[in-house]
Amino acid sequence: MISIKGVQKWFGRLHVLKGIDMNIAEGEVLVLIGASGSGKSTLLRCMNGLEKIQEGHISVDGLDIQASKTNLNKVRQEIGIVFQQFNLFPHMTVLKNITISPTKVKGISKSDAHITAEKLLERIGIPEKANVYPDQLSGGQQQRVAIARALAMNPKVMLFDEPTSALDPEMIKEVLDLMRELAKENMTMVVVTHEMGFAREVADRIAFMDDGVIVELGTPQQFFENPQHDRTRQFIHKVLQA
Amino acid sequence: MAKTHFRKAQEQRILKLTLRFILSASLITLVLWGFYSILEQNYIFRWGLALQHLDSFNKGLMLTLQASGLGLVLALSLGLIVALLRLSPFALFRDMGTLYVHSLRNIPFIVFVLFMYFGFARAVLPRPYPNITLLGWDIDDRLFWGALALGLFEASFMSEIFRSGIQSIHKTQIEASRSLGMSYAQSMRYVVLPQAFRVIIPPLTGEIIALIKESALLLAIAVNELTLTAKTISGQRPLQFEFYTILASYYLTMTVPISILSHYLEQRFNIHRRRS
Repeated sequence: MISIKGVQKWFGRLHVLKGIDMNIAEGEVLVLIGASGSGKSTLLRCMNGLEKIQEGHISVDGLDIQASKTNLNKVRQEIGIVFQQFNLFPHMTVLKNITISPTKVKGISKSDAHITAEKLLERIGIPEKANVYPDQLSGGQQQRVAIARALAMNPKVMLFDEPTSALDPEMIKEVLDLMRELAKENMTMVVVTHEMGFAREVADRIAFMDDGVIVELGTPQQFFENPQHDRTRQFIHKVLQA
Repeated sequence: MAKTHFRKAQEQRILKLTLRFILSASLITLVLWGFYSILEQNYIFRWGLALQHLDSFNKGLMLTLQASGLGLVLALSLGLIVALLRLSPFALFRDMGTLYVHSLRNIPFIVFVLFMYFGFARAVLPRPYPNITLLGWDIDDRLFWGALALGLFEASFMSEIFRSGIQSIHKTQIEASRSLGMSYAQSMRYVVLPQAFRVIIPPLTGEIIALIKESALLLAIAVNELTLTAKTISGQRPLQFEFYTILASYYLTMTVPISILSHYLEQRFNIHRRRS
């Protein structure tokens, strides 16, 4: 579903991605972990073209993200992304947040978009919040709306960029539960997170990044119980101690 | 219950404000009158006579409104275009926008009006000037060039306001909308500009008021707007104090409601301004 080949990226002089190769299969849940500054968020953002890469190729569902002939707006309809800070549109109601893109980008009729949105709100457990504004919701609710907004486009892939890092502890579970459900429904997911429990339980594979390279890539069991590299061992030691 | 209470409180607030305004206005009048009596001049105030000229003022008002209206439409639309140019990813567009803004912002408006009407128009148009028609409306050529100058000039100020408004919207809002498949234009239209609008209401209304006030300078090219009207008739009758007082109150009548409207809009749009 996603193929990443020889990806290199610089921010000015800073070399942030130093040759990434990876394939993500349809229905797979890949969790990207690593210390901050290791390049995991950048890699994720490259997957929907929010960041440009200087070398290599990333293709999603067979379409090269970098190629100039690719219509990025079209590809992005297939790739949902959820941000750490939710990034809901504060001047729109929850319902409008969810329906704006299906109606304006995909040309779906308003009534159809509403039906889909109401189903999604039902699913994330806040059907009564359709007509409120984002700032009237808790952080966890906002993040669930952000997930619903992405799902409303019916994407083939969902990217999550530290979706629980900005949440109060008691709200993390409601967001992770929703992501677990999506994983069960065979959504292809790439998740950047520090939630080790989630990674161990939900990931099909874990990629550990350090200093712009993927140091270790394997099943959660391999990763946590039998890491091959020193850097991975040190990282696991640190996070499990905390 | 709560609502009626709220309304009552608001009525009381307005009443209080009105009383305070009347009180301070009378105090100022009293002080001025005091100074005036000390000077022992013998200017005779003939308000009744002056007010008979309201018809001329109203004609001037029409022209002021037409010039400001046309100028405003141009200033807003061109201002937005220039703002988008200045935010463009292409350096050439940015430079063009910057050049436009800085060359106009840094000359006096009256110089620009004179240049447009006596300089530019003469250089580019055959004489006698062709009649200018806009949507079936015959526009006097002085009004046309005056409004054009006003619009072009104010567009440079408006564009800076638009630009700062757009830039105040967090980049993450653009990222979120683009990630949902929106084009740059859609992202601007549905996500950035509506939010930017709330930020720019106060400076924008300030600039609209400035535009109306600047229209007075069109007297330099003999557009018979309010100020030139007052100047002309005060040359005919010795009622200068009255005429210029009336002139000032005409401008106040146009600009004060805009300030109040701005205040109201700001309050109204402020409700959902916190970042999500």
